[in-house]
This record gives sequence, C-alpha cells and structure tokens, in this order.
Amino acid sequence: MRFIIILCLLQVLTACKKTLITPVLPLLSFYQPVDFPEPVYPLAQNPVTREKFELGRLLFYSPVLSLDNTISCATCHAQTHLFADHNVAVSSGVGGLTGTRNAPPVFNMAWQPHFMWDGGVNHLEMFSIAPITNPVEMNETMLNVINKLNASDYWKKQFKAAFGTDQITDQQLFRALTQYMLMIVSDGSHYDKVKRGQASFTADQQAGYNLFLQKCASCHKEPLFTDYSFRNNGLDEISADDGRYLITQLESDKGRFKVPTLRNVLLTYPYMHDGRFFTIDQVLEHYSSGVKSHTNLDPSLQNGIPLTADEKKYLKRFLETLNDYELMSKMELSEP
Amino acid sequence: MKKIALLVVAAGILVFNSCKKEGCTDPEALNYSDKAKTDNGTCQYEEVQETGKVTLMLAHYWVNETMDFSLNMQYVHPETGDSLTFTTFKYFVSNIKLKKEDGTWWTQPESYYLVNLDEAEGAQLVLSGVPVGNYTGISYVMGVDSTRNVSGAQTGALSTTSGMFWSWNTGYIMVKAEGTSPQAGMGGAFTYHLGGFSGNNNIVTTKTAAFGTESLNVTTTSTGMIHLGVDPSRLFTTTGSVSNVGMVHMPGQNAVTMATDFYNSGVSFKYIHN
Ligand code: HEC
Ligand code: HEC
Repeated sequence: MRFIIILCLLQVLTACKKTLITPVLPLLSFYQPVDFPEPVYPLAQNPVTREKFELGRLLFYSPVLSLDNTISCATCHAQTHLFADHNVAVSSGVGGLTGTRNAPPVFNMAWQPHFMWDGGVNHLEMFSIAPITNPVEMNETMLNVINKLNASDYWKKQFKAAFGTDQITDQQLFRALTQYMLMIVSDGSHYDKVKRGQASFTADQQAGYNLFLQKCASCHKEPLFTDYSFRNNGLDEISADDGRYLITQLESDKGRFKVPTLRNVLLTYPYMHDGRFFTIDQVLEHYSSGVKSHTNLDPSLQNGIPLTADEKKYLKRFLETLNDYELMSKMELSEP
Repeated sequence: MKKIALLVVAAGILVFNSCKKEGCTDPEALNYSDKAKTDNGTCQYEEVQETGKVTLMLAHYWVNETMDFSLNMQYVHPETGDSLTFTTFKYFVSNIKLKKEDGTWWTQPESYYLVNLDEAEGAQLVLSGVPVGNYTGISYVMGVDSTRNVSGAQTGALSTTSGMFWSWNTGYIMVKAEGTSPQAGMGGAFTYHLGGFSGNNNIVTTKTAAFGTESLNVTTTSTGMIHLGVDPSRLFTTTGSVSNVGMVHMPGQNAVTMATDFYNSGVSFKYIHN
C-alpha cells in the first residue's frame, strides 16, 4: 500500500506542471445497482458531482427553504425513517399545520417516472417547488427563497463551489436537491443480498416470497416493488381524496393512487396515502377481508386477496427482508 | 475501506497525469477539445455572420385598437356587459421564428418571453442575433411548448421565481389574468390561471403571419419592429360573463376555451416598421 502512495506522489511530481491537483473531496458519481433498470431521471442533464451532491445535502437539511426557518426537507423525510416522516399519518409543516397525505419515503427516486400519490409532478427536478410553496409545508415563494439565498454569503459560497457562478438560480437549487435525492438508493436489504447470491431466504421467507410473487407482485413489481401505475386497492367506497383524478379530471381516475414501493415497508408505517393503517397486519387484513367496492377498484382485487393466518405470517417474514439498514445508517447521506 | 479510498485517489491521479494535451483550447472554436491543455494553434472557427436586432412590439388594447389596455383601469365588456378591472396580466410568448426571403426560417435560440403588464418594458421583446437579410413573415408560439413543461428545471423567463408555475401538477401557467368585477361571484374577484400542454388539455398555440408587401430589412444597425396587437377582452368570447366562469386554476376545458379564444382572436399581427 505504502508503495502505491509513493508511486502516486512521484506521478504527481512528474505530471504536467500546469495541472494543479487539489484533491478536496473524493469523486462521486451516480450509483446504478446491477439488478435495477436504467434510471428514468435524465442524468446527462445534471451529472452527479461531489460538489453538487454536497450542496444538495446541505439544502435538504436546511430550514432556509421554509418561511420561518423551522422546517427542512429532512423534518418530514428523516434518514432514521428511510426518508419518510417519523411514523405519523400526516406531516406537520410551518406553524404546525398538517397536510392530508402520508409522506412517502424518498429513495430510489431516480427510477420513478412521476411523484406524489397522484403523480402530479412529472420530473424530480420540479419536485422541490411543491413542499417549498405549500402553505402547510414550507410556505415560501420561490422568489423569496432565491432572494434569501442570494443575500447570504454562506449560501453564495456553497453554490459557487458547486456551480461556479455568483448568481444563485432556482434551477441550481432544484438540481442540487435532485442530486442528493438521486444518491438515496435502497438496494442493501437482505432480499437484495439473496438476489445477488450473497445470502439465502429461510423457509418462511421463501414461502412468503412465493406468495408475494403470486398475489402482490403484479402491482408491487420487483425490483423496485412498484410498477408506478395508478390503482384503486379498495380502501373506500367513496374516496375523500380523489387521487389521480385531481390531475387528469378523468372519472376513471377517481380514487386511484400511485402504487407505493414496499422496500423498507415495515420501517415506514403508517400505510396508504392517508396513513390510515398503523400496522402491516391491518394492511394484510385489508387485502384479505376489507377490500371495498369502488367503480375504479382494480379488477384483480374484485374478490380481495384472501389470506390464511399462515400466509399472512409468511408474507410478513418476506416483507421484513426488504428492510435496508445500510441505507438507514449511510454516513454520506446523514445531516452534514 | 481506507485502502479502497486510497486506490480511488491513486487512480484519479493517474488519470490526471498524462501529459500529451495539445489541441484547440478555445471553447468558442468548432474543434475545441476539453482534454487539451496547451493550445497548438489549430482552432477553427465558424464564419462570422453579421446580425442585427428586431423588436417585437406588443400593443395591448381593449376591444378596439384605439382604446389602450392597462392594469387597474375599469373596462366594460361589449358582449357580456361586465365591468372588469385587471390587476395582473401576464403571458408567455415563445419559439419565435422569422421567415427569410428565400423561404427558410431563422429560429431564435432559447426563445422564451414572459410578458408582464406590470413592467413597462414587458411589452417589447428584443430579438438580437438576427442574421442580416430580408424577412417576410413571423411564427411564434403562445404559451410554453410541451418539451419545456416536462424537462425539469429551466432558467431565464422560464424560472419558477415568476410564479407562473403549478407546483402540484407540473406545468407552466401560460396566461395569468386576475382582477375584480362587480359581476364576479367570490367576493368580486376573477382569477384565470390558464395552462395545459398535453392531450385534450393542450392550449399551446402556434401563430404565423406574413408581413405582406413590405419586408423587414435587418442590417447590423437597423431598428426594425414587428407590431402585434393583444386584446384581453377575447378571453371571454366563449365562456361569457365572469359570473359564469370566474376562476380557472388548472388545466382543463375552461382553460382550453379561454386560452384558445384569446390566442386565436385576441393576438394578431398588425404591421412591420423598418
Ligand atoms: C411538512 C412535511 C414535508 C416537507 C417539509 C417536505 N416534504 Fe416531501 N413529502 C411530504 C408529503 C406529505 C409528501 C406526499 C405528497 C403527496 O403525495 O401529495 C411528500 C412527497 C415527497 C416526494 C415524492 C415521493 C414520491 O414517492 O412520490 C419527494 C421526492 C419529496 N417529498 C421530497 C421533498 C423535498 C426535496 C423536500 C424539501 C425541499 C420535502 N420533500 C419537504 C412531506 C414533506
Ligand atoms: C391491484 C394492485 C395491487 C395489488 C395486487 C396489491 N397492492 Fe398493495 N397497494 C396498491 C396501491 C394502489 C396502494 C396504495 C393505495 C392508497 O394509498 O390509496 C398499495 C399500498 C400498499 C401498502 C402500503 C404501503 C405504504 O407505504 O403506504 C402495502 C404495505 C401493500 N400495498 C402491500 C401489499 C401486499 C402485501 C399485497 C399482496 C398481498 C399487495 N399490496 C397487493 C396496489 C396493489
């Protein structure tokens, strides 16, 4: 090892004298798990760099994006909770106001084609404007946020280090936040290790996996555990929240919501778009005996998904294998 | 872990280390090489084209070209009888092209303008870098093309700081008209946020006009102008009184009707001026 270091030093000394190397931070690039599909996010328009990622990380944890400097993205998307909220049904924003939907975990965003439970946001870069300007979240205006950042020597320095310009723009803000989110990748669960041949399932887990493939995977599709479609899974006869309809105005979209990922699902309770179920048992009971009729109920759920007590147990054993404790403790993503 | 980190640093240094980096170092050149560190005099450049400026003048009027339209003034709508006072009137114009004498088009790069009646200079769109020559027509888009609505964060006129953007249903608010009217319900206010770029909700409209007998002569020093007329009263052509439709705040049928009425019959080419 020492030999290599000396060799490197020699290389530096003999290299072009005009190239001054100042290795500040280790290089960083997008991480693509081998068994995931190609990302949906157009990486070429915002290539991941260490500097931009670190800026995004600072911003994600900073309350500067909120009206009264009290709320950051991490307030509702905490690493300890796999970047979901702290096991609450709905989140509290500026002034303690609450919204109506459960905060989803923010990981594997690079593969997601649309965002929010109703899919209203079409691009990861355009996501941040939603919480920033939502009166019950950060309650700011984009103009004010950009003016605040431009008035701060601290932020000007941070943005300059990342983008090399003196004027901070909303595009830079959005792209930096995007880079941080792009690097939140969950692929370190026991399930992933089994898939890569580095571990194996117990008999119960395997039984659960088989059941899962039969009964759940049509919507919660591997390897991301969602197919990103909008479906009604029979929560209500009349939905209080119109879901996808709010975006498309199509009757056939009433009460449909984006199929959520099930990675880390046992760690990110409560469940469903409004956080109505606090335990996974309630969710399984819902599929087994609680599916309600609705004009837009998914055809595959017309008779629910009847499950015996054993089947529920096996499914739970399998879902547990989706917990990613590596992501939960990844230093690189923690509060800077 | 530490060893791996060191190896990474080592690899990085090795990459930086190769010394044969001669080439063209001018980013403006056609054969610019980002790997070159020392210029060896081989840069090649595009032939410089002489260019000039053209100004697109937007004259806002109410119903009749003789009646100037401005904010915070009360107007009566001739068809609905409503009294209307606008406090905000903003809209996007984009993708401007000028037709050359030989029938080819000059396309303005990064062609996005937010016209804001709050700002005096808002109604003059200065096109620079127009190649010298004679022009016989114009094409422009009212609204923001769908590509820019689905491609993530933008800059310039398309920055979200102008507030012309829907956060919860991604897309530009392409026309924002707000004000008061005694005929409006909801506390006497009207609010029209018109947008939509896909399927049946698409409002984006391309408009073209031929200049007629005269052509626009662009030279390096010319100050040619293209005059367009803009009549906000046309918003109400189909929907009628503010008491019928007083608020639009998302893409959909009302947005399509109001925006296309305005774009099609409220925005028109008037004349050019060399
Ligand atoms: C007050 C709590 C709160 C704050 C602050 C907040 N979020 Fe969220 N976040 C939510 C909720 C609730 C949702 C679900 C919204 C919906 O579907 O309507 C969400 C959804 C998301 C999603 C979409 C996830 C998916 O699967 O569709 C992303 C990405 C996200 N937030 C990123 C951020 C970023 C970046 C910030 C900071 C700029 C932020 N959030 C600040 C509560 C919050
Ligand atoms: C027809 C498609 C479909 C099938 C099949 C399906 N789900 Fe779902 N699932 C959904 C949708 C849609 C939601 C979100 C519903 C909502 O919030 O309105 C959801 C939500 C969930 C959630 C809540 C996740 C969260 O983070 O809030 C869990 C857990 C879940 N499903 C587990 C399962 C299991 C286990 C099975 C198999 C027994 C299954 N699902 C079968 C479509 C489906």
